[in-house]
Parts: sequence; C-alpha cells; structure tokens
Amino acid sequence: MHDMVVAFSKSWGLFYLVALAVGVVIYAYWPANRARFTRAKNSILDKDDRPWS
Amino acid sequence: MSEFHRKIERNTMRFVLAIIVVASIGGIVEIAPLFTIKSTVEAAPNMRVYTPLELAGRSIYMREGCYACHSQMIRTLRDEVERYGPYSLAVESQYDHPMLWGSKRTGPDIARVGEKYSDAWHVAHLYNPRDVVPESVMPAYRWLLRNELRIDDLPGHLRAMRDVGVPYTDAMIENAAKDAFGQAAPESDAAVGVTERYGAATHMRAFDGNAGRLTEMDALVAYLQIMGKLTDAAQKTEQTKIGE
Amino acid sequence: MIARLTVAERQSALLILIVMSFLGLAMAAAGRGTPFGLHGFLVIAASIGVGLPLLRKFYAPEPDPAQFEQYYDDPTKVGIVLAMLWAIAGMFVGVWVAALLAWPDLTIDAAWASFGRLRPIHTSGVIFGFGGNALIATSFHVLQRTSRARLPDQLSPWFVLLGYNLFCVVAATGYMMGVTQSKEYAEPEWYADIWLVIVWVVYFLIYIRTLARRKEPHIYVANWYYMAFILVVAILHIVNNLAVPVSFGDFKSYSAFSGVQDAMTQWWYGHNAVAFFLTAGFLGMLYYYLPKRAGRPIFSYRLSIISFWGITFMYMWAGSHHLHYTALPQWVQTLGMTFSIVLLVPSWASAGNALATLNGAWHKVRDDATLRFMMVAAVFYGISTFEGSFMAIRAVNSLSHYTDWTVGHVHAGALGWVAMITFGSIYALVPWMWKRETMYSARLIEVHFWLALAGTVVYVFAMWNSGIIQGLMWRTYTDSGTLAYSFIDSLVAMHPYYIARAFGGLLFLLGAIVGTYNVLMTIRVAKRERAQSGGGTDVPSYGRDPVLQAGE
Repeated sequence: MHDMVVAFSKSWGLFYLVALAVGVVIYAYWPANRARFTRAKNSILDKDDRPWS
Repeated sequence: MSEFHRKIERNTMRFVLAIIVVASIGGIVEIAPLFTIKSTVEAAPNMRVYTPLELAGRSIYMREGCYACHSQMIRTLRDEVERYGPYSLAVESQYDHPMLWGSKRTGPDIARVGEKYSDAWHVAHLYNPRDVVPESVMPAYRWLLRNELRIDDLPGHLRAMRDVGVPYTDAMIENAAKDAFGQAAPESDAAVGVTERYGAATHMRAFDGNAGRLTEMDALVAYLQIMGKLTDAAQKTEQTKIGE
Repeated sequence: MIARLTVAERQSALLILIVMSFLGLAMAAAGRGTPFGLHGFLVIAASIGVGLPLLRKFYAPEPDPAQFEQYYDDPTKVGIVLAMLWAIAGMFVGVWVAALLAWPDLTIDAAWASFGRLRPIHTSGVIFGFGGNALIATSFHVLQRTSRARLPDQLSPWFVLLGYNLFCVVAATGYMMGVTQSKEYAEPEWYADIWLVIVWVVYFLIYIRTLARRKEPHIYVANWYYMAFILVVAILHIVNNLAVPVSFGDFKSYSAFSGVQDAMTQWWYGHNAVAFFLTAGFLGMLYYYLPKRAGRPIFSYRLSIISFWGITFMYMWAGSHHLHYTALPQWVQTLGMTFSIVLLVPSWASAGNALATLNGAWHKVRDDATLRFMMVAAVFYGISTFEGSFMAIRAVNSLSHYTDWTVGHVHAGALGWVAMITFGSIYALVPWMWKRETMYSARLIEVHFWLALAGTVVYVFAMWNSGIIQGLMWRTYTDSGTLAYSFIDSLVAMHPYYIARAFGGLLFLLGAIVGTYNVLMTIRVAKRERAQSGGGTDVPSYGRDPVLQAGE
C-alpha cells in the first residue's frame, strides 16, 4: 500500500505538472481566444459607475 | 481544450472545483505518504510519554511563545551535531501534539537541553536570563515562580492527548493531578506510583527548589529537563545522514 | 449606513447578534474566570457594540430603491479604515518586539508584555488584521466592478467584515493571555478557528453569488486570484487546525497531528498561507488596481492566465523546503525544493507582466506616488520570489535556515510587496470610494512612499547581514577542527543589526501613520464637501484615467 502511494507520488507528480502546463499554454494561446482576452483586459478600463441591468 | 476551459470559466462552480483539484494535488502527494509510511518514524519501543507535569510545562512553553526563538530540531549537518548533539529523529517528536520543531534560532536549539544544566540554573535563567548569561536577549519570566500551577484540569488534557493517539492509560489519566504534584514533591504521599506509571528514570524532585508549592516554574523546568530524553533512539542509532 | 440596510436585513442582523450574545454568554459561563470565559464576554461586548447603533436606526424607513441600481461600497469603505488601523497596531507591536531584541530589559514584569506573547500579535496583526481587511475590502470592490453586478445582499458582506475582525481581536487578545496553539501563522485556538470557518464560508458564498449574477460573461483574472485565495485558505485552515479541545470551556486543544506529519502539515499550511493569502489575493489587487491607475490594460492577459495556474498548482508542493535536513523523508524535501525553483517561472511572469504594463507610462510612475507604490511592489515581488526559490535550494538553506535571513526574506515580501501593493491600491481606491478627485494630500503620499521604501531597505539589509553572519559563524571551524564561535558570540554580533532593524521598522510604521492620517482626512474633507454642496448625488466617479479624471 505504502509503496504504491509513494510510487504514485514520485512519478505522477511530474506528469501532472507537464500535462497542466501544456493544457494551460494551449488555452492561453488558442487563436480563437485572442479576441476574448483583449476585450477582457480592456474591460476594466471602461466606465464602471454602476451595475449593468 | 479551449472550449473546455471556457465552460469551466463560465460556470463558476466548475471553476471553483478546478482550483480545488489543481491546488490539492501537491499537498495530497506530499502529505498522504507520510501517514502510510513506516520508515518515516523509527521504532523506539522504550519511548515514554510526557508526565502530566511535563505536559503542563510544555503547554507553558507554547503559551510563552518559546518556540519562536528556540528550535527543537537538530539537522543532519556536522556543525549542528557537534554543537547540539545527535541529530533529531522523527520518533522523538511522535508524541508532540503539535510539534515544536521551530523555524528560528534567536536562541540556541534546545532539542537536547535535558539534564545539560541543573534545575537551579534553569530557575535562575528563567527568572532573569542576564543573571547567568550577561549577553542574553531572552525575556525574563519572573511570573513563572509566582504563579501556582493549575492541575485540576490535567486529566482532561491527558484524555485529549489520548484522543489524538498518545498511549495514556486509564490510571495515568485518573491520577494526572496527583502525579503532577507528586513528581515535584518526592517525599509526599502524592509521589507514590509516579515512577510505576512513567518509568523508573522519571525525574522526581522539586524543580523550583520548593517542594511545598507547585509552580509553573516546576512544570516548565520539568519539561526542559526531559527534552531529548524520552527515548535514547538518537544516541543508539548510527548517525549516517550527516552532511547529506 | 445602517439606514441603507433593508428592514428585513436589519431584522436578520439583530437575530444574528442575539444568537451571538447567547453564544458569548455560554462561553463566559463555561469558562468562568479563564481566558475562554473572557472571550465570551468579548463576544457579548462586540454584539452589543454593533447592536446599539443598529437598534437606534432599527425603525428607519425602507431605503430608497434607487440605491440598488448602484454598487454597494459601504463595507469596502469601513474595511479600508480598519485595514489602516490594523496596520498601525500590528506594525507598532512589530517595532516594539524588534526593540525588545535589541534592549531586552526595556519592558515591564508582566506576562502579557513579554516578547513571546507580543510577537504573534505583530504577525497576526499585520497579516490577518491589515492584509486580511485590505483583501476583503478590495475584493468586494473588484468583484462588483468586474462582474458589473451588485453584491447579492447587504447583510452578508457586513457579517464577513465584522466577523473577521472579531476573529482578529479574539486572536490578539488571546495571545496576550497566553491562548495559542503555537502553530506559526495559525496560532488562534479551536473556537476562533471554527468562527473563522463560518465567516469564510459566507465570504465564499458572496463571491459565488455575485459571480452568478454577473453581467459580464468573462470572469476577469483578478477574480481568479481572489477566488483561489478564498478557496485554498479555507482548505489550509481547516486541515492544519484539526485538533481536539480539552473541553468546551477550555481554550486549550491538542493538534490532531504530531511530530513529522504535523511539521509537514504545518509548513504545507505556512508556506501556502504565504502563497494564497499573501500572494494570490494581492496579485488580484495588482491585476486590477495597477492597470486601472495607469490607465493601461495589463500587458499580457495570456501570461496572467498561465501564471495563475502555475502558482495555484506549484505552490502547494513547496512547503517542505522549510524542513530541509530535518527528520522529514528526503524525497519530500527534494520534491519541495524542485517545485520551489520552478515556481520562479510563474512568479516572474507576474512581476514582469506588471512592469511591462507600465512600459510607456513611466512618466506617470515618476509623478504619481500611488502608481510608484505599485511599481515598487512588483519589483519587490520579483526580488523576494527569486530569493525564496534561491533559499529553497538545500545547500543555501543549510546556511539560511534558522537565521535572520529568513526574517529578512519574509519582510522583503511583506513590506516591499504586500504592504506596498496594498497602500498603492488603497490610495487609488479611497478617492473613488469617497467621490473625490484625489487624496487629501499628494505630498503626504510622497512622504509615505519614501518612508516605506527607506524602512524596507534598512530592514532587509540589516537582516540579510545579520542572517548571513549568523549562519557563517555557526559553521565556522578553527584550524584544530573545533567550532570557532559559541552561540552567544553570534548573538553579540547581531546587536547592531537588531538596532538597525528596529529603526527600519520604525520608519515603515511612521509611513503607515502618515498614510492613515491622509486617508482619514480625505474622508473628512469629502464629507465636508458633500455637506456644502447640499448632500450631493451618490453616483460613483469613473473615468479612463483616474489620475487625471475630473469630478462628477
């Protein structure tokens, strides 16, 4: 039991790291997302005087 | 991939779950094996538990924040072993709820301070450190001599410790208050049975120099004098990891 | 402010306060004469203290429905003031304990005033009192603006803010009475911990409910960081504080974990309190207030996403670098070290992103001390994350651990990064909240900036010096192969640095006092102006460039 837990910890930790990194980078650089991100980062500079109804 | 993340983000609860999962992996992978492993904590069959008086002293040690300046963890480095003694083993703190390894040495490590100095030295040092060590910056803890130790609640403390896994027996819990008094008043009736329950090597003496009155000083000095002495596993184990 | 609550909200508030009073009464009765009992009285006093003003306005008419067309900023305003007051209190105690290390006899013979009991007041006061209030206040503001939605109700934000401050007060007064579970940065005992869980769940629900009401489909990245802060702090807090109390009526509890497992749990908590309380939350501030104040969008939104997941994933592995060369199994130490080094990538991505945002706006940084606070914060964030990764390397850690270097590192992060980004954000936020063009005095912001920067530099350099000297002295050998210095030799060598450190801290404290004065005066002037202009409208100011914006 213990050996399994340790083996899992030692090997899969790295796998998770790589998989997550690849996933996040793909998402961030997915061409279709460009417009959304540009809008998002500019959105906070818009007028924000009251909630939208 | 992209569609997946967009969904995650649009749906708040899914986003929350994603954060929890991603963040939990590290902790689970590192901490869970420590509970299943046998080699994390060495075997030490002769390891004894803290007496009620020592446990009360340990609570005072925490209450006064001693851990902020004194570590109780000698690392596997040559200079530490030569300065403080054999490096600390995991088993030595297996009854420490919580552990007091510390993170800062404004004062020296005290994992092996037990029996290194006399009781009288500790009392004088705690009363005013600069009387014994002129350069010291340690606070003076004069109230420890003034305050009588509260012992009526000690059975409850031992019971809580047993609830978290420390092997206190029913007899130990039942006699906790009496044993605390007896340990620091070896001539009194209360002293009967203390060594029976906690071992012949238990320190039986008036730690603050006055057997008639049980003070917080008694408790704290009793704790300091048992530090590193609950088991001799560290002295018996070959110190193979030095300089690793 | 109370009249702005709806009648139903006032009734619920009264009910909560009555329940709390009874809880306090039960605590006082169960722990008669002990610190636990005194905390019971404290809970009763707090309930009455909030209840009296509530009762005075209890029968006020329903508020004008027009207010629901606007954002709800009252808790944010109070949170800002509380954060500044906690800053002064926490930093004052910090200077005090720093002075005690230089002159240990400058004290009175009272238990509550000793170093060991005051130190956690300093750490909790600045981290939880100052930092926590600033996070709560700014998160409510950012959450509403980026979601384009009002907070879901007006009662729960107050419960979170005031309940959280009750937790802080219980913690600080507890330390003075010797109530502590001795877990670093998690000292409050079991009953305070349970209370914080309740407050935190409500805080989380506010976030979720507001996001569910949002009109803007995309969740702005600042909210991701605030979310991670709330969620992960909850996980850390609950796991690390698992304990068995002696009884109801006794403040003392015994940790569920012991020895090596407890050490790993404690530093998994401790390091991630740094990561998710002192980093993620404040990065949320950075990603909103810095672009807003500079009037420029964040340099790379993609980079902020990548660093978000990087930080969320990797920080959780890094805690074991606090336990190098100890009885912790070595593979866990190595894992912690590896991840600590890789962590530099997302950390520097965030710092670089912030600085690149300012590229092209350096003239604003030069002229505007508020923006400069944020810029310097990003620089110190970069410095201290590099230092952190460096110190996590086993060989470096063998020298730095247990020494003042760690203290210096912590303060490079706490003063240089956390406090600076907070002051910058507060200086940006206060005029928006109180509908003024600017702060009361731009020159006082300038004064605060230089005091803060000078104080940080003096402090950090003093501790770098003392830490490295200490570490080297402990491991120096004579020619004959014996240790060259006794421990007390190294302590004597620290004395000048301890004085310098207390001085650096004093400068920083003075800056915080100046800042608080400036905030309070801004509020006062704003109120006077509104009275003169005959009440005035309650429409928030807005604009593309808040530095130069005109009035309403």
